[in-house]
Amino acid sequence: MSGRARMILLALAALTILPGFWRVAQSLPAFGTAASPYGEAINRLGPELRHVANMVSAVNFDFRGFDTLGEEYMLLCAVAGTVLLLRGARGEDRAGHAGRVAGRPHEGRSDAIVLMSRIFGIFTLIFGAYVALHATATPGGGFQGGVIVATGLLMLYLGEGYERWRKLIRPPVLDVCEGGGALLMVAGGLLPVTMGRPFLENVLPFGTIKDMLSGGLMLVENAGVALAVAGGFTVLMVEFLEETRALLSEVEQGQEP
Amino acid sequence: MTVLPWIVAVWLLGIGLYGVVSSRNYVHLIGCMTVIQSSTYVLLLGLGYRWGAGPPIFYDHPPGTPAVDPVVQALVLTDIVVGATISALLLALALQVHKRDGTLDPQEIEPLKGQKR
Repeated sequence: MSGRARMILLALAALTILPGFWRVAQSLPAFGTAASPYGEAINRLGPELRHVANMVSAVNFDFRGFDTLGEEYMLLCAVAGTVLLLRGARGEDRAGHAGRVAGRPHEGRSDAIVLMSRIFGIFTLIFGAYVALHATATPGGGFQGGVIVATGLLMLYLGEGYERWRKLIRPPVLDVCEGGGALLMVAGGLLPVTMGRPFLENVLPFGTIKDMLSGGLMLVENAGVALAVAGGFTVLMVEFLEETRALLSEVEQGQEP
Repeated sequence: MTVLPWIVAVWLLGIGLYGVVSSRNYVHLIGCMTVIQSSTYVLLLGLGYRWGAGPPIFYDHPPGTPAVDPVVQALVLTDIVVGATISALLLALALQVHKRDGTLDPQEIEPLKGQKR
């Protein structure tokens, strides 16, 4: 189909569906006045029922924990799929550094960049751990914390370069983090089952509100998510950064400075 | 302008769809799909918002003070993280397409024909 025909088809489809959209937009509750009974009930009862301050985490890891389990396995499948697609001929014909565009001057990494990445990379890792650990007290949680940890590791890559970064990052460890995190979530969900209670029912002691260790089973689920997200995102980085390595044939031909 | 957020969501959906339809590069196409995805975030977060309400985190203010809907926030939060990995999966597919066909243009990709070599 030509580009023009496709555009005409899109315009026709848009014209057909726009009145419907307009109708829906008009009948939605006006912005800023919404009050879903479900959210209201959680805000009202959550702190009392579960002794946690962060209702978003309470929804994620307790009230809708089963939903999060599904999301978690979507993440696992997406990461596994990416690894499968990119795994071919790993590393044998590649050099230890990134490929360079022929003809473009190569400056090397400045000391300032190395120092900054080391400082901020490590601070980012600590911050990620903080965000992940305080899931039930302050804004944060395993999803956010895991991504921040992975970002910190990427920052270390900026400073160290591929070869030294890979000495630090061991894919088997990441795989254990990722799969183990997902497994920990299921194990946490099955814990109440062994006591004859429904799956994912929060049977552990709740602790005190605003405390880092409040929320009972939520902490287990949160740790599982944090491990899986940090491991999964770092695995993705390793896989994509592998693809950037220079081909040995190019290095030998002296195409590089 | 109480319909403005819904119009923004529809606009993001529309502009993303336009990008997908007119795209000549898979990386660009995947970017457009994330734009479409973000229209759902605007819609969901808009649905949960209340004027004058605080965050649904009762650390600084006591439970019982008005707070926005935590359910939609939890949905969006998990979806952003999962969406990022799905984008990575799609980009990996694009990478393999480029290795096989040497192009990223959706209109120049040939259908699979048995064994190539």
